[in-house]
Amino acid sequence: MRSIWLIARREYLEQIRGKAFKVTTILIPVVFAVIMAVAILPSKYWGTGKHIAVATQDPALAIRVRDQLVADKEAKITVDVVAPATAADRQKLHAEMDSKQIDGFVWIDAPASGKEQVTYVSRSAGDLTTEDRLQSDINRALVEQRLIDRGNPSSAIASLTGNVDITTMLYRDGREVPSSVLSTLFLGYGMAFLLTFSLVMYGMNVGRSVIQEKTSRIFEVMLSTVKSSDMLAGKLIGIGAVGLTQILIWIALGAILLSSALVTSWMAGMTKPQIPVVEIILLCIYFVLGYALYSAFFAGLAATCDTEQELQQYAPLAAVPVWLSFGMFMYILSNPNSIWSILVSMFPPTAPITMAFRFTAQFPPVWQIALSLALMVLGIYIVLWLSSRLYRVGILMYGKRATLPEMLRWLRYS
Amino acid sequence: MSSVAAPVAAPVKAPVVALDRISKAYENKIAVQDLSLQIEPGTMFGLLGPNGSGKTSTIRMMIGITMPDSGSITLFGKPYERASLTRVGYLPEERGLYKKMKVMEQLIFMGQLRGLEPAVASRRAHDWCERMQILDAAQKKTEELSKGMQQKIQFIATLMHDPDLIVMDEPFSGLDPVNTSLLQDTLVELKKTGKAILFSTHRMDQVEKLCDAICLIHRGHAVLSGGMREVKSRYERDRVVINFEGDASFLQHPAIKSFKDYGGQVEIQLHPHADAQDLLRAAANATIYRFELMEPSLEEIFIRTVGEKIDA
Repeated sequence: MRSIWLIARREYLEQIRGKAFKVTTILIPVVFAVIMAVAILPSKYWGTGKHIAVATQDPALAIRVRDQLVADKEAKITVDVVAPATAADRQKLHAEMDSKQIDGFVWIDAPASGKEQVTYVSRSAGDLTTEDRLQSDINRALVEQRLIDRGNPSSAIASLTGNVDITTMLYRDGREVPSSVLSTLFLGYGMAFLLTFSLVMYGMNVGRSVIQEKTSRIFEVMLSTVKSSDMLAGKLIGIGAVGLTQILIWIALGAILLSSALVTSWMAGMTKPQIPVVEIILLCIYFVLGYALYSAFFAGLAATCDTEQELQQYAPLAAVPVWLSFGMFMYILSNPNSIWSILVSMFPPTAPITMAFRFTAQFPPVWQIALSLALMVLGIYIVLWLSSRLYRVGILMYGKRATLPEMLRWLRYS
Repeated sequence: MSSVAAPVAAPVKAPVVALDRISKAYENKIAVQDLSLQIEPGTMFGLLGPNGSGKTSTIRMMIGITMPDSGSITLFGKPYERASLTRVGYLPEERGLYKKMKVMEQLIFMGQLRGLEPAVASRRAHDWCERMQILDAAQKKTEELSKGMQQKIQFIATLMHDPDLIVMDEPFSGLDPVNTSLLQDTLVELKKTGKAILFSTHRMDQVEKLCDAICLIHRGHAVLSGGMREVKSRYERDRVVINFEGDASFLQHPAIKSFKDYGGQVEIQLHPHADAQDLLRAAANATIYRFELMEPSLEEIFIRTVGEKIDA
């Protein structure tokens, strides 16, 4: 026990003091924030500040459309009115676009007989946000215009066409708590991202550490004092503790950030994600178990390799469950209790990440959590058993990567 | 009034290590077969053999890194048990250090792993660094040090827990003569304090100078073993070195099997059972400055026994 503790402490201190720890502790949240910002900002800020013209034969309709567009404060749009518009005006608008005075124009043909024809001519293709805004604002203006044309008083228009906002609540622990699809999405994605990075990164870290010790030929010195299983255990515990430290730093940073003024203003209108303590504890347990599974797997494989490059070739084996888990992200959020969602959250390699998704969508039944944890423990036991056998023989084998038949032979050594 | 002391029987020293007919095979290759040896306290024991002869396999079994397929191992008078390893210091040929650790931290870590308390480990590490003249480097990272310096640190890590059995696999490889001599002197001092030292190498000259007993391994078998003097005495003195001037006709004497003439000094190999005195008489016409009947070197014994040249 003493040697396991000494080895774990050495691994922990060496990694915590290393540059890689400091860099990843800062860099990973930054990368995450950038990814989230890139995902959120377009919907909020893209397509704003446009200068367009509305051209139609009917001046009243043109003004109504302009008022609708200008009323959309987020769009910060400038609207010129050309009414009543003629074919010559259309040429003029083209010229204004050529000289970049306007970004585009909306041409509304409103024949007295019936259906209006609306065309949006723009200098840039694919400006979905502006197109989306135009669609809803012009439709609304047209509906208002039709209502007035049919004799409704202007004062009644607002109440006839007014929107309602839907408030989403999540029923949890016998209470209704505010929730929103967007924040659920971010939360699920965030937790899974954190878990994935930590699991794969620290799993690979263990592998790399085994290779480094193999390269530095320290194993034989160590093995004259401690058992190979103690070395493996010490290494897994030490590096796992580094991972937990990093996750706790991130959680603390996240909590500080969420309560900061910046995020409060940025997330105005969105519901702040709520993470109950029990979920944080469960996530930590899933991290520890997932880490044990992946790191034991990599430690065993690393012992069969001679260089980090050789170990890298095994990396896809860890990537497949991660891809599978992320591929099911939207499906699990929409169908947290479907048979597929349950199955992937029981399968040990995908359980930590998919359970994180399920927590955010709907807290799973306790028996499912218990079964998934039990299966993970069983999976860890099997992987540890196999890995410790590969490790025991592999760390003293130098020269080349072991082939599959060689590994199978090592497993048979008692 | 006088008193008569009761006769006291000399204490019988139990061997520190006893290997009894151990064998080990990997796949279809026999690494060690039916090997037996004993190492007494206060002796330096040479385990000799060419590369791949089974030396490292023997040592690995001795200290429990691998288990023998058959045979038994006794450490400090008891059947092998892991607890005994705290009394063993092992410097493997494939040795390494944690490169990112500082020298002192590393030594304290190694000392603690071998059962020392942190304060004791720290004090001993300091004393040993002073003795090995590397105290200046104690706070440096290992990767910043020269290979020779790193080797001294490995040497200290092997000895700082004061083991009763010291096992060293090629301990002087890559060291300059000054440091080789420093380490050799240290080992000789430790031997005098009663430590048993096993010393594995293919450098016969070092073994000849330092060891009291040897075991020569070839293809996993012990082909020669015993005390150094006893082993040498089994071979007759059939090599003569002569320094002379003048008539060299005695070099045609029938007792001579072969000779190497260095001009002024000639090294002669006699035929088995040839009489060296005959040769001395035949050389009477030359002026003899030196006529020495040499005992065979360990290397010669080795070559004769194994029948092949050893890598230098």
